[in-house]
Amino acid sequence: MSGAQIPEPAALKAAFLVRGYVADDALATALRLVAALGKPLLLEGPAGVGKTEAAKTLSDVLGTRLIRLQCYEGLDAQSALYEWNYARQLLHLRAAELGGAGGVTDEDLYSERFLMARPLLQAIREEHAPVLLIDEIDRADDAFEAFLLELLAEWQITVPELGTIEARTRPHVILTSNRSRELSDALRRRCLYHWTEYPSRAQELAIVHARLPGVNETLAQQVTNAVHALRALPLGKPPGVAETLDWAAALVSLHADHLDAPGIRATLGAVLKLREDQLLAAPTLQGLAAQAAAGHPPGA
Amino acid sequence: MSGAGVIPPDLAAQVSAFTARLRDRHGFLIGPGETADALRALGAVDVLDRREVRGALRAVLSASPEQTRLFDLEFNAFFRAEGAAQPKLPLLPETKAPGTEQQTEAGPPPPPRPGQPPAPNPTPAPAPDDAPDPDEDAPDSQAPGQPLPGEDQAPPDDTAVPSLRARLSPNAAPGQAVQAGGDDLPELLRAASALVRALELGRARRLRPQPQRGPKLDARRTLRAAARTAGDATLLRWLGRPRRAPRFLLVIDGSRSMGADATLLLRFAQALHLRSRRVEVYAFSTGLTRLTPLLRRAPSGVPLSLPELGDAWGGGTRIGENLLRLAREERAGVTRDTLILVLSDGLDTGDPALVGRALRDLQRRAGGVVWLSPLAAAPNYRPVQRAIVAALPFLWALLPVGGAADLHALPRRLRAARRL
Repeated sequence: MSGAQIPEPAALKAAFLVRGYVADDALATALRLVAALGKPLLLEGPAGVGKTEAAKTLSDVLGTRLIRLQCYEGLDAQSALYEWNYARQLLHLRAAELGGAGGVTDEDLYSERFLMARPLLQAIREEHAPVLLIDEIDRADDAFEAFLLELLAEWQITVPELGTIEARTRPHVILTSNRSRELSDALRRRCLYHWTEYPSRAQELAIVHARLPGVNETLAQQVTNAVHALRALPLGKPPGVAETLDWAAALVSLHADHLDAPGIRATLGAVLKLREDQLLAAPTLQGLAAQAAAGHPPGA
Repeated sequence: MSGAGVIPPDLAAQVSAFTARLRDRHGFLIGPGETADALRALGAVDVLDRREVRGALRAVLSASPEQTRLFDLEFNAFFRAEGAAQPKLPLLPETKAPGTEQQTEAGPPPPPRPGQPPAPNPTPAPAPDDAPDPDEDAPDSQAPGQPLPGEDQAPPDDTAVPSLRARLSPNAAPGQAVQAGGDDLPELLRAASALVRALELGRARRLRPQPQRGPKLDARRTLRAAARTAGDATLLRWLGRPRRAPRFLLVIDGSRSMGADATLLLRFAQALHLRSRRVEVYAFSTGLTRLTPLLRRAPSGVPLSLPELGDAWGGGTRIGENLLRLAREERAGVTRDTLILVLSDGLDTGDPALVGRALRDLQRRAGGVVWLSPLAAAPNYRPVQRAIVAALPFLWALLPVGGAADLHALPRRLRAARRL
């Protein structure tokens, strides 16, 4: 594996754009360094700004496999690395007894055929460096985070019955976090870091056009402006980029060519997911609908 | 033509000086390894492109959004372009709400909404004692920072100087460090330990070996045990779900009316933080500030001393607005195993309806919300304060906290309140 596998930032940005992901310079540079320095990249930011999508797009650009480990509270090393298929092992034992095959040795019982590789083991056994996405690491607990430190430093794991397995290639590792828990300084020091913020209006408009090529220009601008106005409100769950796209797609499916009050009412659930937020945002949305209607009278 | 892979020697020296500056001035965790990584990173980008250099160094040297903002300011000051204006460095980074960055890029802030106070003056005149020393915060004139080639207009995220200004409330105490000294830390540690042990909000999802029969068979250990009995699984092993370690979210009212009670609660927060890693601490007065990083860095064995907390300490009381902001910032962090402790006398100058709205939101997501009030320790106390009245429907309990004895009694009172 070499750093040349990930293109230079400008080329990477262009490759992302082709795939409908509008990456900024800083993200492209950080992704470039993942391979150049052989270090994991920690992507933090609000929910819905495209952290997971960045990893997916990277794997697509590189033409490598995406291996995803979704973290959750209670995730342990065994679930992330490997497990033995106990049911098959027991069946094997019973079959050997019934067949009179004699004693079953440990080598028989703890061989590759009974080993179930989980994401981390899969990642280090890949022939070509995959993109390993460790998603929402902040949801896992401290013990798992400490375990990851060792794996990310050594890139080898030890299965007691099989011995040490070293990585064939070092995966391109991307960790994401929504900051629901403070990660340790130790993990942060081992990672490159990029804070992903909500995109600017121009960037978000570009995202809408890249993802929804058929959307009307006026509608795209109005939706983008409305989402930015909503994010300025003290909402419980501010809309992310995914909500912007969902909203625009919902309006397009209703054949809307601009924002109006009935359209907003019909599709509000695509952008605001809490009843309290919908109530809070109602005056703002009414104002936006009135502005849009003034610029686009019915039938225009 | 790309300049990737070529690092001029003087640029390497500048990077070393720059990393030392981040470490010495802002406490970035940068050692020789990070400096070496920074130089390697420059080898992977075009050093003639300022944006790529900044992106590469930022990815290697910063580790949090707060550090990212400081990094950008320092980078622009250190590697400033010829003729470029000198950016001002902040005293304290401001915590922005999601989405509010558009206000800074769009020009003047919008007028306040009905029911909300006017936004704080973005350029308050600090008290003489608070005035930043321009010589201290400005880059050294002898610093090795030189304009980088390929200078361009900084992107919007680099012009965030206004959003990084410290917010100083006109009601806040003069800029002084918060001293919460006291010799009661061992006692408070015992109270904190008892609270961590006593609280059970749920069972962990992770299955653990159980000494007795549990809900699920432990196939791995059962199979291992079967080796002793020639493959017959006569000794069954079990897995179960142990008690889930509780999370704590402490919100301390640091307004003037809280007096000495606020510092006692601050010491209790420190004790709780020393006993469990699953503790988040915030303080509010007219504004809200997260104290967890400050408590984590506080040296143990010496009286607790925190830097000046701006409008989060010593000013007026805006309970509802700050709880709303807390609910938004901690949205992902509050789960069913979180106990929220609001430590306040409830004497609010804001809109009590906001208190109810914020607590309803928090209570829905948390394991419970408990309000600890110093006033409740007084005999004949009646919960008639507007904020308390608005909060009561959403509270697990309203408990007194008049001293260390009340903190010791907290686990028992919480259990009693839960049985009701």
